[in-house]
Amino acid sequence: MELEDELFNDGLPKAYYKHNDKGQYVLETEAPWAEKVSVALLISGNRANLEEIRKAVIAGQKSPLCYYMEMRQLEPGMLAKAAGIAVFRAKRHLRPEIFAKLKPSVLNRYTKALRVTLEELKTVPNI
Amino acid sequence: MTTSVTTETLTNGRTYTHRTAAHCETGVTSALFFDKGFNLSEPMIFGIGSGIFFGHLPFIKWTGLPITTFRAMPGLVFKKTAKRLGAKVYRKRFHSPQKGMDELRRVIRTGQIAAVTTNVYWLSFFPRRYRFNFSGHNFIVLYENENGFRISDPALLEYITDCSAYDMERARFARGPMEARGLMYYPTYVNPNPDIRKACITGMMDTCNQMLKIPIPLFGIKGMRLVARKIIKWPEKLGYVEACRQLAHILRFQEEMGTGGAGFRYMFAAFLQEASELFGSKELNNLSNEMTAIGDTWREFAVVSSRIIKQRKSKREETFEKAGGLMLICAGREEQLFKDLRDAVEKLKS
Repeated sequence: MELEDELFNDGLPKAYYKHNDKGQYVLETEAPWAEKVSVALLISGNRANLEEIRKAVIAGQKSPLCYYMEMRQLEPGMLAKAAGIAVFRAKRHLRPEIFAKLKPSVLNRYTKALRVTLEELKTVPNI
Repeated sequence: MTTSVTTETLTNGRTYTHRTAAHCETGVTSALFFDKGFNLSEPMIFGIGSGIFFGHLPFIKWTGLPITTFRAMPGLVFKKTAKRLGAKVYRKRFHSPQKGMDELRRVIRTGQIAAVTTNVYWLSFFPRRYRFNFSGHNFIVLYENENGFRISDPALLEYITDCSAYDMERARFARGPMEARGLMYYPTYVNPNPDIRKACITGMMDTCNQMLKIPIPLFGIKGMRLVARKIIKWPEKLGYVEACRQLAHILRFQEEMGTGGAGFRYMFAAFLQEASELFGSKELNNLSNEMTAIGDTWREFAVVSSRIIKQRKSKREETFEKAGGLMLICAGREEQLFKDLRDAVEKLKS
């Protein structure tokens, strides 16, 4: 599978304990197959989700904030905590018509929490 | 034990040796103690600190999926090990990021290395596949340089690198479930001749109690049985695709999060092996072999589950019943093992 190889060739490996022939434990770096499969499934799921949200934003059903929240793997509760905004307000800001009316002071809080620039926060990448 | 070694000179002229470990917290503890001149391997620390555990937490969620953990709570292993070996530690959380960063700078300027707990997502040196919102990764800060901080991450191979101050602050004070709140810790004093035998006995007894005696059905052996029964019901209850996601999440906890394979079971077997040499006990050696066999069963569970995940479009040979059944077998065997271990340890005492 290409995605698994792509994911596991990038960056440094981790160490795993393994029984050797003499019955002692040694460290080795080959990742077990099960790990590769599960990580690939979860990451491909995340990517598909992000793509779906991007299309929804372009269609005008969701606000760009929703896209960046998903990109940083956050949930409304975590995003609200990080930005210092009440959870119910953050949830409201996921709707495009309400997000469009936000003041720059509120947007700045989101840019800090999500580590994106103000221009980026107002749009989504259009591929 | 073969470990690759890289060295680095600290501000006060001492040499720091990077030692690779399978798990971040035990590796960090081992490295901190080694820096104080006390050599103890990673599995020993894992056993003394009672790191092995099982817990299912359906009420804490990451990206909508419940947590199934194979380890004790982050931070506990260091605390317990230090207590049992008679070391004095400095351990602090901060409310203000500014104060947290200032304190870290002050400590490492004196030449003392310090460990910090961070959120993995914001660490740019980490491989992309491991970066998700998990506030429980530990590494060691060596000194400050022009790029930010020089750090050593025992969970990665031969890795000493730079981490920018901005990344560090973001990662230490990330918000979310189980916030680290800038936790930093280091031992201030390490007893040069601790009673390792006594510490091992305390650690093993504590492990047995954790696995067998917690009267809540989410933890220990009871938790394993609960999850196994849940797995069997998942395909009907949640639908096939969602059930696969949940299963993959369990596998991620079992294999990926620096467990050293099979949800820490191999690491615990390595500990029992070292302990059997320390005590000269045949029983512990047999238990170590049994633990290895249980680890193999966990691996088999992982392989069966992966096949389920892979096969979801084509024919279905492996079923959720089989995966759940394997987990029930693991639970049964581990229950017997920890009971035997308890008996063996009681004999060691007298």
